[in-house]
Amino acid sequence: MRSSNLPAAALALALVFLSGCSRPLDVNAPNVRGIGYVRLAEVVKAHPLYSQLSQINDDIAALRLQPIAPSLPKTGAEIAAQSKQLDRELKAAQDRATAILQSKEQTYSSREQAAIHAALVAAGEAGAGAQSARSMQTVTAQQAGEVTAQANRDFEAYQQSVIAQDQAAVTAIGHQLSVEADRKYRLRAQQLQEKESQLSLELSQRDAAERLDLRTKLSNLVLDSATRKKYQSELAALDRKESAVLDAQRVSDRRVLAAYRQRLQGETQAAIARQASAIHAQTRAKIAARRSEVGAKIASRIQGLAPQPLPSDLPAAMRAKIAQIDQMFKTKFQADAQKTITDYETTKADLDARYAALHGVTGGISGAAAAQIYQLNQQRAKLYAQIVAQVRRDAARVAAARGLKVVFVNVEAAPGGVDLTGAVKKDIESVHQ
Amino acid sequence: MNIRNKFAVLGAAAALAFAFAPAALATDLTDVGYIDQAAVGSLPQFQKANAEIAQYKAQLDQQFAAASKSAKSDADRARIAQQFQKRFLDEQRRVLGPLFARAQTAIAQVSSNKGLSVVVDKRIVIYGGQNITASVISLIQSPGPVVPPVNTPPPSEIGFVDQLQIDQVAKIKQANDVFLKFANDQKQQTETQLAKAKTPAEREQIVKTYQSTINGEQKKVLQPLVDETKRAMADIAKKKNLILVIDRSDVIYGGTDITADVQNALK
Repeated sequence: MRSSNLPAAALALALVFLSGCSRPLDVNAPNVRGIGYVRLAEVVKAHPLYSQLSQINDDIAALRLQPIAPSLPKTGAEIAAQSKQLDRELKAAQDRATAILQSKEQTYSSREQAAIHAALVAAGEAGAGAQSARSMQTVTAQQAGEVTAQANRDFEAYQQSVIAQDQAAVTAIGHQLSVEADRKYRLRAQQLQEKESQLSLELSQRDAAERLDLRTKLSNLVLDSATRKKYQSELAALDRKESAVLDAQRVSDRRVLAAYRQRLQGETQAAIARQASAIHAQTRAKIAARRSEVGAKIASRIQGLAPQPLPSDLPAAMRAKIAQIDQMFKTKFQADAQKTITDYETTKADLDARYAALHGVTGGISGAAAAQIYQLNQQRAKLYAQIVAQVRRDAARVAAARGLKVVFVNVEAAPGGVDLTGAVKKDIESVHQ
Repeated sequence: MNIRNKFAVLGAAAALAFAFAPAALATDLTDVGYIDQAAVGSLPQFQKANAEIAQYKAQLDQQFAAASKSAKSDADRARIAQQFQKRFLDEQRRVLGPLFARAQTAIAQVSSNKGLSVVVDKRIVIYGGQNITASVISLIQSPGPVVPPVNTPPPSEIGFVDQLQIDQVAKIKQANDVFLKFANDQKQQTETQLAKAKTPAEREQIVKTYQSTINGEQKKVLQPLVDETKRAMADIAKKKNLILVIDRSDVIYGGTDITADVQNALK
């Protein structure tokens, strides 16, 4: 009897042990069938490196806040080629408008002179004297004055517009370079922070076994106070050692970061000055070129305005008639010319808009921003993979211990199966405490 | 060792065996398989096809850039983009279609041989399951045609939904549209504010406010529908004795499709 009591007790122990282990989880239950799942997003959020991942996400979102360009980001060579094409289109539009205006001017001038000649013949004044010619010359001088004044007004408007563009470009470049410097600084800060987190992770992992051992020993209720104190001080020493290494790293990183900020500021200021100087030089060259162009055009237009010499000593009625004809043709020409000018202005506005979009003046994602997004995405993918790899390791350990056959992530709904999220989160948190 | 000790040892061994029983069960095979699609995609024939597609795309991009210049309005530009997109998809189908078909047949054949009820993408399995990647690659690489299996996949306790189709349910589509419009308006307002911001701190604050506004609206407009959809999925899955429901995009073979049931439940 006694000999059969012991195995019975051992079996009872086995059953107790078994019931203790299996009660919370029956992996073979019909609604489980060895299947478990982990809500990955939740576990990732509990990971100590999540703050960095979140920071990268924010940075990407901030960069994406700039309006999306109509097409894919362009390379420098593509931008240069398209700029040239736009320049050619603009020059062609200018030449076309000038040619149309010259042609119209000639047509109206011929028609005006023919009309004046017909009026003189009809009035029997074909031999009229020089007074009329002088009168017409006065009109011509007035016209020349108007042409010059108009050309000067155009030139001034052009000059103002170029200067405004110059200022806008300098401001935009200053802004862009500052944003870029800011982004570089944050990236560097983030890298250092990542390094610190990595160090913290490594330190805690390195000491995890020792810490766990000390905590297990401390959880023993019957420990005498001297031994307890000894373990406590060993645990505290472990914490201090880790903190000291981390603090030293943080101090060093802060120094590196401060020096980096100073260097970035200097570089940014120098780059802004360099770019501004190049823009100002371009502006001066543009204005000088337009000035000589306008001068040549005024001379050409005034020549075109010279009327055919008229007979002298015309009567007042005839002069009035000629002045009326002249005014009529001038008005017609101006109305007609205005249409050509409007067409040209429309074309130019369209080209200006395309040019601005091409160079990111309207705020489209520039090549630099796209490159930064790419870089951040790479960094994010690497960090995410690192986090998920650890989640996988922890989930595999938990799943194996619970006797599961397969564990999923990215589950949409789970009426059955075993949710390992809490256990994996706890596991990750305990390693990094 | 006397008989009493022998029994004691046996008893302890039984206790240990029971204690570790779950771990032993873990090595049992399941009817869930997975495949590393990236490994299949890196086979020479897929790489060659991808290079061909990339070359075609480069040519198409140039033609698209030239054609876009003639666009007179946004609608015109969108129409041109759509035409080029269609041309690209047609070419992609022509080049990759036969390769995908062969891979799909190979997966079905291997799954049938191994008695799998579902095969999913490797990314969503973090423990266990049967990795059939090597067998599938070997069959794809074998000479001659790959014969499709005679049997259809057995019923699976893993369900799936096509989220793209769920998104087309009227009330979800409407909520998505409302949210997208809101997000777009916010984006434009934020861009205007960012253009006026003078310091990095100011810009950072603007971005934070934008993100918090968007998140708040998302919770308000979309989250109730997300919750309702999840509840519907769980109810239907329970009725059909499914254990889990995953997204259609992660299922490669088999599984139980409950998309239509979920769509009906949400109407």
